[in-house]
Amino acid sequence: MKHPLALFTLFFCLGIISAGWLAVILLPLYFLAASLIIFCTKIINKKPAFNIFLLGLFFLSGLILARVDTQIPRSHISNFIDTYGRQVYTVKGFIKSQPRYNSGQAVFICRIQAVKGSVFSRACCGDIMVRLKSNKSLLYGSAVLLRGGLSRPYKNYLSSQGIYLMMSVKNEADFIILNKNYGFWLQKFAFFLKEHIESIFSKAVHPLCAAILEAMILGEKRNIPPLIINSMMRTGTVHILVVSGFNVGIVAFLINLMLKALRVPRRVRFAAAIFLLLIYCLATGGSNPVVRATVMAIVFLLAPIFKREPDIANSLSIAAFFILSLNPRQLFDIGFQLSFLSVIFIVYLYPKIKSFCRIDSLKIGFLKYFAEAMMVSLAAWLGTMGLVAYYFKIFSPIAVLANIFIVPLATLITLCGFSLVAANFILHPLLSFFSATTEFTVALLLKTNALLANLPGAYFYL
Amino acid sequence: MFNLTRQERQVILFLLSVALFGTGVKLFSRMLPAKACVFEDITKINLNSADKNLLMAVPGIQDKIAQRIIEFRQEHSGFSSIEELRQIKGITNARLEKIKNYFSLR
Repeated sequence: MKHPLALFTLFFCLGIISAGWLAVILLPLYFLAASLIIFCTKIINKKPAFNIFLLGLFFLSGLILARVDTQIPRSHISNFIDTYGRQVYTVKGFIKSQPRYNSGQAVFICRIQAVKGSVFSRACCGDIMVRLKSNKSLLYGSAVLLRGGLSRPYKNYLSSQGIYLMMSVKNEADFIILNKNYGFWLQKFAFFLKEHIESIFSKAVHPLCAAILEAMILGEKRNIPPLIINSMMRTGTVHILVVSGFNVGIVAFLINLMLKALRVPRRVRFAAAIFLLLIYCLATGGSNPVVRATVMAIVFLLAPIFKREPDIANSLSIAAFFILSLNPRQLFDIGFQLSFLSVIFIVYLYPKIKSFCRIDSLKIGFLKYFAEAMMVSLAAWLGTMGLVAYYFKIFSPIAVLANIFIVPLATLITLCGFSLVAANFILHPLLSFFSATTEFTVALLLKTNALLANLPGAYFYL
Repeated sequence: MFNLTRQERQVILFLLSVALFGTGVKLFSRMLPAKACVFEDITKINLNSADKNLLMAVPGIQDKIAQRIIEFRQEHSGFSSIEELRQIKGITNARLEKIKNYFSLR
């Protein structure tokens, strides 16, 4: 078979899906999986039978992983607290995410190590979301002591991230930063780089332009006005506001180019590219599209080292398998579904549409490019329109046309954003010219999008 | 003369084009009369024409309040100032302070 990993991942996903329906106990599943492994080792040379049982093993792995994932540990903080009463708790832990500040309030995820109530005190585990009324500068990894009420989050996506509790700290006196740091050094470095790039954008360009750049290059959407997001949802182009595989490709390309210019050997170049891609992935918050693109890029970079032909289906499968192994609940995440579906449809449907429409027979270069862009856009739209209609209750026929104009502009903005960062370091006197081009391109993108959204029949709310 | 690869030549050309285009944009913006930034009117919602879904894109405006804004607009032939939002049930002074920067009257 040409793409064995695709089939393995498919059965793994089926296992995760069936975990929601099958009320099975874990222990027999482990016995079944162990028996299957033993049986597979016995028939390892009998190819068809071995393959079938191997698929079964992947199905079971998905099922077991999803079941294990739903089990909250006994030492989890949510098992010890009462969210209905007005009890105040003191917790000890460390800041697990990059703190975000908004109108005098800091928001971050805290990994809990111990909790103290009015009548008990014990070591525990788990993550909570903290809202702290303070403008204090907080650092990722800092050990903290917090005091406040705990409540259950009302947002489902928080529980899908393993966060079952929220704490509101209303006074600065209820918050103490301890003299310890538990942060992972690579993550610390990634956040440092991210903050530095954010400050470059905010100094160099208009705040709205900086917000768009932050979304496209750093995956930080919090400063984008709701009108812009709404307008892009109507034209089906909101996907440009996330870090995509294209960005990961640019990072890999730039690293490779710089090291190639320095005559660094190929293997060292690839190793450096993998390391920097991991930092970029961590800096952008490790969202599903970035992890997918990073894993795919790493597989592509490693393939020649292992003397293997890089294959898009296999690398896409490895990316899916990797994300789902870390958190099986991601299979039900909109970002995961849209990201993978659009890539699958572009990879498989686009060549078919292209040959059906005989685009290769077009002689004029510009027309050919235009037709190809339209076909890529159509393939992605066909792949994701069902999900978009289901989740966002909107149907946007304009999306196919809008993407033809918006995607090249977004590509240009991404390149301008990376150029801004480069200019800040090595071509500082030219920074203002790069800023002017970036602002112009962002304004052009937003105006074009607004124009397309206002066309009659551009979108329908369902 | 220069021993540059195709990729290196592409990058240099791109950077030069961006910088040169930037000089053109700067020159053009200097020749224009002073006026509000182009980004301002893109990010604000027109209170007199926005539909319900667009109004609901503003944080703090839910379904019912959006409906009341539309009804108010129809009854009074539009808003003459953003402060008039105060007359809508559910929009307190504190909420108006938070949302007024999202709106414009064009």
